Amino acid sequence: MKKVLDLNFYELLEVAFDASPFAIRQAYKEMVQLYHGDSLASYSFFSSEEREEILAKLDEAYSTLIDEKKRPRYDQLLIEQGIFEEGMQYQQDRKTLSLISNPKGFRAHAVLRKKNELTAMASSNAVIQEILAQDVLSGNDLKKIRDELGVSLEMIAEMVKVRVVFLRAIEEDRFEKTPSRIFLKSFLRAYAQCIGLDADLVASRYLKRIPD
Amino acid sequence: MAHIWPIGGGKGGTGKSFLTGNIGILLAKQGFKTLLVDADLGAPNLHTIVGLANPPLSLSDFLSKRAATLQETVLEVAIPNLFLISGARNRLDIANLAHDQKTKVLHAISRLDYDYILMDLGTGTSFNTIDFFTLSDSGIFVCTPEPTSIENIYRLIRSVYVRKIRQVLKIHRFRSLATEAEARNQDAIIQSPEYLLEVLKDIHPEEGRILEDTLKAFQFKLVVNQMRRQDNPKIGALICKIIERHLGLKIQFLGNVSYDENVHEAVCRKEPFIDQYRYSQATLELKALVKGIVGITEEQTVAL
Repeated sequence: MKKVLDLNFYELLEVAFDASPFAIRQAYKEMVQLYHGDSLASYSFFSSEEREEILAKLDEAYSTLIDEKKRPRYDQLLIEQGIFEEGMQYQQDRKTLSLISNPKGFRAHAVLRKKNELTAMASSNAVIQEILAQDVLSGNDLKKIRDELGVSLEMIAEMVKVRVVFLRAIEEDRFEKTPSRIFLKSFLRAYAQCIGLDADLVASRYLKRIPD
Repeated sequence: MAHIWPIGGGKGGTGKSFLTGNIGILLAKQGFKTLLVDADLGAPNLHTIVGLANPPLSLSDFLSKRAATLQETVLEVAIPNLFLISGARNRLDIANLAHDQKTKVLHAISRLDYDYILMDLGTGTSFNTIDFFTLSDSGIFVCTPEPTSIENIYRLIRSVYVRKIRQVLKIHRFRSLATEAEARNQDAIIQSPEYLLEVLKDIHPEEGRILEDTLKAFQFKLVVNQMRRQDNPKIGALICKIIERHLGLKIQFLGNVSYDENVHEAVCRKEPFIDQYRYSQATLELKALVKGIVGITEEQTVAL
């Protein structure tokens, strides 16, 4: 049997190595209930010094594991000591994975990584350069650029968190479908940025056609 | 072979005799041949719980050799399948038995032919109580959700712990270990017997490991009795957790039994509670407890 003060933070809180912050918070609450001075369950079991020591260690464990920066450092230490295996630890970005994530979401990430590539593609694409040379841009122009780059509206929608209907309205020049000019402008900028275009340039040339 | 379950608690009035009697009756009703042994040598009253006012024989008849075998002291009670070795007519100076007498009693008990043998042990941390626990390596601790009772249950469990270490190491080795442990930590024997194991593991790792395994072999259970509505129903599980984490003893929480005013009534009428109040919360909980005990013993039988 290991002494409680010799336990690592995960053993101390009785949580798994990849426990979520929520589980850690729960476990900490339960442990404090067990060890705090008014706890009936541990009444008379510890001297007050022992109790303080345990509570201090619990606090240390909790404040380390709940901290986004401290926890990976502590995990690394345990991995180096051979207590846990690399890859078994909790991943911060796992929290973005949820039940409503869909495969489109993954492709959207692929688009994000290729943004520089898209810019390069656009600058070397004659059709796109020709369109961008125009003084005014229509919805159809934007659609052409997007088609040239091989990006779907759904990908952009997933990336920039703007509904597909609004993006389609932009491409079909149905401005009345968008909430207001301000929104339209910000949707345009997001759309352009997402496919590696100059956001200001695209927005101003598109909006030129629409009176205030 | 009979399953022997010593039942004890650190403090008086927690309901050890009440639980022993009623668990025994429930086991008997399920068709298990069950023997109750009143080993509370100083203050026996298990016979009253099962409705036997004046038992003619008792455990001391066996100890003083008036009865040739322990079986001769077994009494029948009004409930089929249930038997009793009473303590009512024990000599008044019997409260403390010599160690070899206890070994003799336990040895004789283990050879009796019953499905279950429940031993109602005395209060406190006298060697009488502790030795019955250590000698049988199992037992049910009873406490109530009050600081006084919990304090005493911890003291009892720690005493059992120290006594077991002492039994394994034999007297003079134990003394040298205790001296060494106390030199390192003056609370070792008073408050933290777990320190003894730590010191032993430090000095003689191999022996420490053997002792640790011996301590792990204990099959202790805990029942929290007289649970009132405002009490935390998880308290039993939390106590078990403390013991397992800090003493390394396996202890299983069997369940809660609610406080019931009617227990007093039943005891005063000298009639078994579960017969009088068949559908009370406490009776239902006692039945669940018995189900747990039967389940555990079946598991053990399969394992053997």
